[in-house]
Amino acid sequence: MGAAGHGIPRPAWLSSLASGNIGAVLERGFAVVRNQNWTVLASGFFEPVFYLLAMGIGMGALVGTVTGPGGQPVEYAAYIAPALLATSAMNGAIYDSTWNVFFKLRFAKLYEAMLQTSLGPLDVALGEILMALFRGFLYALGFLGVIAAMGLVTSWWSLLMVPAAVLIALGFAALGMGVTSYLTSFQQMDLINFALLPMFLFSATLYPIAVYPDWIQWCIMAMPLWHGVELMRQLSVGHLDALTWVHALYFVGMTLIGLVLTTVRLRALFLR
Amino acid sequence: MTDLSPGTGADAPEFDAAGLVASGRVPPHTEMAARTRRSGSWFYAETTLRGMRAFALPIAVYAVLQPLLYMVALGVGLGELVDRGTGPVDGVDYLTFVAPALLVSTVVMSVTAEMTYPVMSGFKWQRLYHGPTASPLEPGQIARGHLLAVVLRFVLQGGVFWVIMVAFGAAPSAWWQSVLVVPVGVLTATAFGTPLQAYASTIEDEAYQFAFIQRFVVMPMFLFAGTFFPLSAMPVWLHWIGWVSPVWHGTQLARVASYGADVPAVMMAVHLAFLLGCTVGGVVWATRSYTRRLHS
Repeated sequence: MGAAGHGIPRPAWLSSLASGNIGAVLERGFAVVRNQNWTVLASGFFEPVFYLLAMGIGMGALVGTVTGPGGQPVEYAAYIAPALLATSAMNGAIYDSTWNVFFKLRFAKLYEAMLQTSLGPLDVALGEILMALFRGFLYALGFLGVIAAMGLVTSWWSLLMVPAAVLIALGFAALGMGVTSYLTSFQQMDLINFALLPMFLFSATLYPIAVYPDWIQWCIMAMPLWHGVELMRQLSVGHLDALTWVHALYFVGMTLIGLVLTTVRLRALFLR
Repeated sequence: MTDLSPGTGADAPEFDAAGLVASGRVPPHTEMAARTRRSGSWFYAETTLRGMRAFALPIAVYAVLQPLLYMVALGVGLGELVDRGTGPVDGVDYLTFVAPALLVSTVVMSVTAEMTYPVMSGFKWQRLYHGPTASPLEPGQIARGHLLAVVLRFVLQGGVFWVIMVAFGAAPSAWWQSVLVVPVGVLTATAFGTPLQAYASTIEDEAYQFAFIQRFVVMPMFLFAGTFFPLSAMPVWLHWIGWVSPVWHGTQLARVASYGADVPAVMMAVHLAFLLGCTVGGVVWATRSYTRRLHS
């Protein structure tokens, strides 16, 4: 693995945060993936598929069609499929960047060891986040294949759902890792579940948010998952408008905030 | 001496160790051993419940928040779509249809958490089971004590859920009938939980078995066993998922209790027998497995 940044002059403030050798962090991550049981990695793919089959087919029989992006009616399975992809991108990224990071941070003391080397906190943060994205990318690809085979996407724009899933995962992973650095006990880790469940249930995943009063709708629209769901839904039928950019930029902003937070926190925790 | 008599039931006596030492009067050890053999399961249940106190707040918040969220999101939100789509399901509005099923499912998901990693921890990581084994406590009593503690927790959790159901107007039956969803939920939890406990007690090296159970047993059971839609909404060749799932049998009974769903008496007997059979079978298996592992 190369030292990508070597030879390029970098400002002093950056060199205290990063050596540019993210490759070393990634190499370790892939070594772990190779050595663990691959069936665990593969099984994660089935969760959104089960949801899609149950909700799409079973609930679809009860619900019929719903109003999709741009006001066109879509069948219920096609309505929830993009939302499930956004949710699974979120879940994967959150799992990797919270429980896994928590364990490495508080028990395995992995980051402490990494930061004893020439690696800087930004290298570690980026490396860990990129590992989370790799998994999210694989699942997104698999799920897109399933919904395409079921005939639930109707536009070539839907190919962009894979990079969109990676973007959503990036936002959640960056922020999740930053937040995790503040948590010290398992009980506090449970708080993360308390945040995820309502977000999944309310963010227009299974039904339009129009059933709620305005003020609740505004609260939901402030949440990241809603933007992810809407972004995916627009891409799945190729109905793009100015809001598409808002949704995408939301995650760019979330990523930047998360990266800054994580870097600052890792530095505060280990490089005193 | 009287204040040292063992209680029967969850409210086992407040054990005043300091007072006991000061008094210098300890019951003879044969007497202590006899008490343990008599009501050891309750003693172990108390230990487990005291251990749960560290997590009391998350458990309590979860017990209240989860039903509220499910009711608002799935009952009211998704219900709006269903009521506009096919209209009433099983003769009632969607919220009423899904609420008892959600109660059963949430308790079963909780029992999954309680009977996997904590059991593993009891044998291996924290070895909590090994200390009591050195006392006159039988391994079977440890298994049943652990179960008892979990059951007591679910009585509370199910009770909270029932109150929320009633508050949402999602349990139209008379209260003395709809409150039966709580024992039904608990029975479903034991029907799934005790075989799981027994299985968990046989595992020497944890290698993702629990993650697989979560993904390929619990999750499909939650999704396909008649929780969100009647089995009849699925193709016939998928109905067997319901038939083998404790969740389906429990849900059907809970629906009878909460809104008087039309289930023939014979089927009600089948549901009850299935749940009781799984529970008893699980307890027997767990007792054997705990005994084999702790007395070897």
